[in-house]
Amino acid sequence: MADLGRAALVTAFLLLVYALVAGSLAAWQKRRRLAESAQNALLAAFGATLIASAVLLAALARHDFSFQYVADHTSHELPLGYTLTAFWGGQEGSLLLWLLVLTGYSVAAVLTGRRAGREVLAWVVPTLGLVGTFFAMLLVFVASPFATQAAAADGAGLNPSLQNPYMAIHPPMLYLGYVGLTVPFAFAMGALLARRTDERWIVATRRWTLAAWAFLGVGQLLGAHWAYVEIGWGGFYAWDPVENAALMPWLAATAFLHSVMIQEKRGMLKVWNVLLVVLAFCLSIFGTFLTRSGIIQSIHSFTQSSIGPWFLGFICLITAASLALIFVRLPLLRSKTRLESLVSREATFLYNNLLLVALALTILWGVVYPILSQAVTGEAATVSKPYYNFFLHTFGLPLLLLMGIGPLVAWRRASLRALGRTFLWPLGAAVIAGIALLAAGAGSSRIGVVAYTFSVFVLASIALEFARGTAARKALGGVGWGGAFSSLVARNRRRYGGYVVHASVVLLAIGVTGASAYQTVHEARLKPGQSMSVAGDRLVFRGYETKTESNHRAIRALVDVYRGNDYLGRYKPGKNQYFAEDQVSNEVSIRHDWLTGGDLFLIADQVNANGSIDLKALQKPLVNLLWLAGIVFIGGSLIALWPDAREARRLAERYADGVVRI
Amino acid sequence: MARRGSPARLIVALSVAAVLAVFLLYTSIAGGGTPSLRPSQLTGHTGRVSLMGQVVGKPTGDAHGAGLRFQLRDVKGHTTVPVIYKGSVPDLFRTGRDVVVDGHLRNGAFVAVPGTLVTKCPSKYSPKT
Amino acid sequence: MTAALVVGAVLAVACVVLVALPFLREPAARDDRLTSPDELEQRRLSLAEERDRALATLKELEFDHRTGKVSDDDYRRLVGPLRQQAAQALRALDLRAEQAADERVPTRG
Repeated sequence: MADLGRAALVTAFLLLVYALVAGSLAAWQKRRRLAESAQNALLAAFGATLIASAVLLAALARHDFSFQYVADHTSHELPLGYTLTAFWGGQEGSLLLWLLVLTGYSVAAVLTGRRAGREVLAWVVPTLGLVGTFFAMLLVFVASPFATQAAAADGAGLNPSLQNPYMAIHPPMLYLGYVGLTVPFAFAMGALLARRTDERWIVATRRWTLAAWAFLGVGQLLGAHWAYVEIGWGGFYAWDPVENAALMPWLAATAFLHSVMIQEKRGMLKVWNVLLVVLAFCLSIFGTFLTRSGIIQSIHSFTQSSIGPWFLGFICLITAASLALIFVRLPLLRSKTRLESLVSREATFLYNNLLLVALALTILWGVVYPILSQAVTGEAATVSKPYYNFFLHTFGLPLLLLMGIGPLVAWRRASLRALGRTFLWPLGAAVIAGIALLAAGAGSSRIGVVAYTFSVFVLASIALEFARGTAARKALGGVGWGGAFSSLVARNRRRYGGYVVHASVVLLAIGVTGASAYQTVHEARLKPGQSMSVAGDRLVFRGYETKTESNHRAIRALVDVYRGNDYLGRYKPGKNQYFAEDQVSNEVSIRHDWLTGGDLFLIADQVNANGSIDLKALQKPLVNLLWLAGIVFIGGSLIALWPDAREARRLAERYADGVVRI
Repeated sequence: MARRGSPARLIVALSVAAVLAVFLLYTSIAGGGTPSLRPSQLTGHTGRVSLMGQVVGKPTGDAHGAGLRFQLRDVKGHTTVPVIYKGSVPDLFRTGRDVVVDGHLRNGAFVAVPGTLVTKCPSKYSPKT
Repeated sequence: MTAALVVGAVLAVACVVLVALPFLREPAARDDRLTSPDELEQRRLSLAEERDRALATLKELEFDHRTGKVSDDDYRRLVGPLRQQAAQALRALDLRAEQAADERVPTRG
């Protein structure tokens, strides 16, 4: 069976090389049949990868420990779900998942990419082939999932902290995002190689970029949720290089999403757009390089593996080639329109872009700092939380504010008087909120008050946008309020979907602010019967209970929680001792307060032999808004992604292939 | 259309300058990063450093009491240094694991900053991407 | 084991066939040129984009005016030139279409 898997991968590799070479030849010499043949090679490569994936999945399902990969990442006791998702639990399998998603996307891109024009598509195919060749090459020559060994009696098992539904689905989500960024990159390169100056490639890739960006965002939130409930230190983001690896391309993609809107509406910023999509793609490859190569000290990184240099080489190749191409095609990318006013929607988009890119680059600097300082001074130095937090505040808070300002400003040039009027309500709401917050004691964190006030401003401006739009639609007659609202959103899906996504980002900001700037932490050593309090809740330790399960022993501390005279319930933070893996995992206990959106987070820090406990308790206000934000985010993205029949018709007419209309 | 300089260029240039200025200001005030050192590189460093190494021998003491004491050795070497740590101890912590901890070298012992002990996931379970 | 062999063989054959398909279907193609829009078509495309852009900007201006983002004065000031721009784009597109109809045969049926 392993032979079939290997053969399938070799086949995929050869097909992708063919797609690259034949595709380039066909595009260059404008040979139609060869171009179609190269396209078909991509389709076939997907099929081959699918077969290889099926082989691995089958091996996992039947616990075939003659596969080294299966033996390394599963065991007999591992529940079926986690056995199957161990597919992407290690280096080789995750590379195979990457290739699967990449070839899958390539097929979809090719089948729907006609809209971009044949000659562009002819160059998209070899570009996708190039990226695919790299990953297929790794799978065939460097890190094969189909290495075999003498069948072991049992496998090593999966790290218990990874046996969690969020962690199971987090990689596929992230990959749908990371890999998804390859498609707009390929189309951008395709357009440049084909010397096309129009916006067809942007129109063709708009939904791709949005979908990839949404997946990447959701993937990160899933990871954050896993860190919160499973690792349980009380936080959800540690600025670890692996986490940053996903954040950086996401920020670049966010900038790209906005700047293409400017190119569509005003025809400006063509060079910037192309640079951004290259940046986003390179950061996504860099991100996966970071997590695999062990080059940056991270609590997640694999130990120094041989795969790092390959990735580095690939990144350098891609960066150099793309930049060279952009430079050569620079004359084609000159735009005819200029920025007319510093107070216009284009300008706010430009500021937003600059802030996003600045944030991404400062994070990048922080991530590579150890390598650079090692190279320069001989000593590696790391930057930590304060660095990242500083720049998050410096760039993030203005970004938050811009989310509220942007929608209120008109295109081209906004008169200050008009601005004053539209700003009035949101500004008023923000000021009132600010005063109320200070009165309620939120002044303990200056950043917190600023973040909250900005958030209110943005939410108010979004609400106003919906209200004014609905009113304007209703004024046209024929519908009631409900009808006006749905008609408004249905006809402007991208705009209003975008507003909903903005609202989700604001919710995220509020949640993050509450959970970090306003959290309370208390630790104490308690003997049974003793209590401690944290932010108004009293915690009484009642002793331990232990239970033996099939693969672990669970020790739980019994903690009764009281608020004033009310008994809020018994919570059981503790630890699990896993037999097979000989490991201890932290099992936190969380009390969600649905009224306030906060959490009481209990950690059994240390179980002591004498029956006492070192208990750590955190009050995290508003933290559940983070997860709510994720749901709103998905909703907004769906609205923005939803196909629009009218727009599709209009675009079909515009890009009618080759027919000259009268 | 006359090729006058677009304000866009000016904005970008000013922003880049502004960002650099903010950045330089920050690093000059907050200082560069924290050095990441192995036990063999410790001598001479008096400020706060990040120490990486492998736990050898049996840890003793109470991290939530008087302090957890353990020996940290170069991952690929022989130099060891005693560490005194207070605060939360990660579940994966045990003899043989690679850890990172922040602190200062004081009188031959490494006094850790509370709560900064981090263990690396063991490579046997090559965890997530 | 044989199952794997069979699947492998089928896979290999299928891939080869798929890749060779365009050549098998048309062993001697009449027209093997990968068509790309010529000069004329490129111009039509960018004109079409300009027209759509002008119309969309007008529509957005109206909407912004109705929702109060653009004041009456600003609206009056902006709408004139925008309408001219849109009209220009429409005219240029018609002109291009007329020229094309006169000069050449449509590129593809």
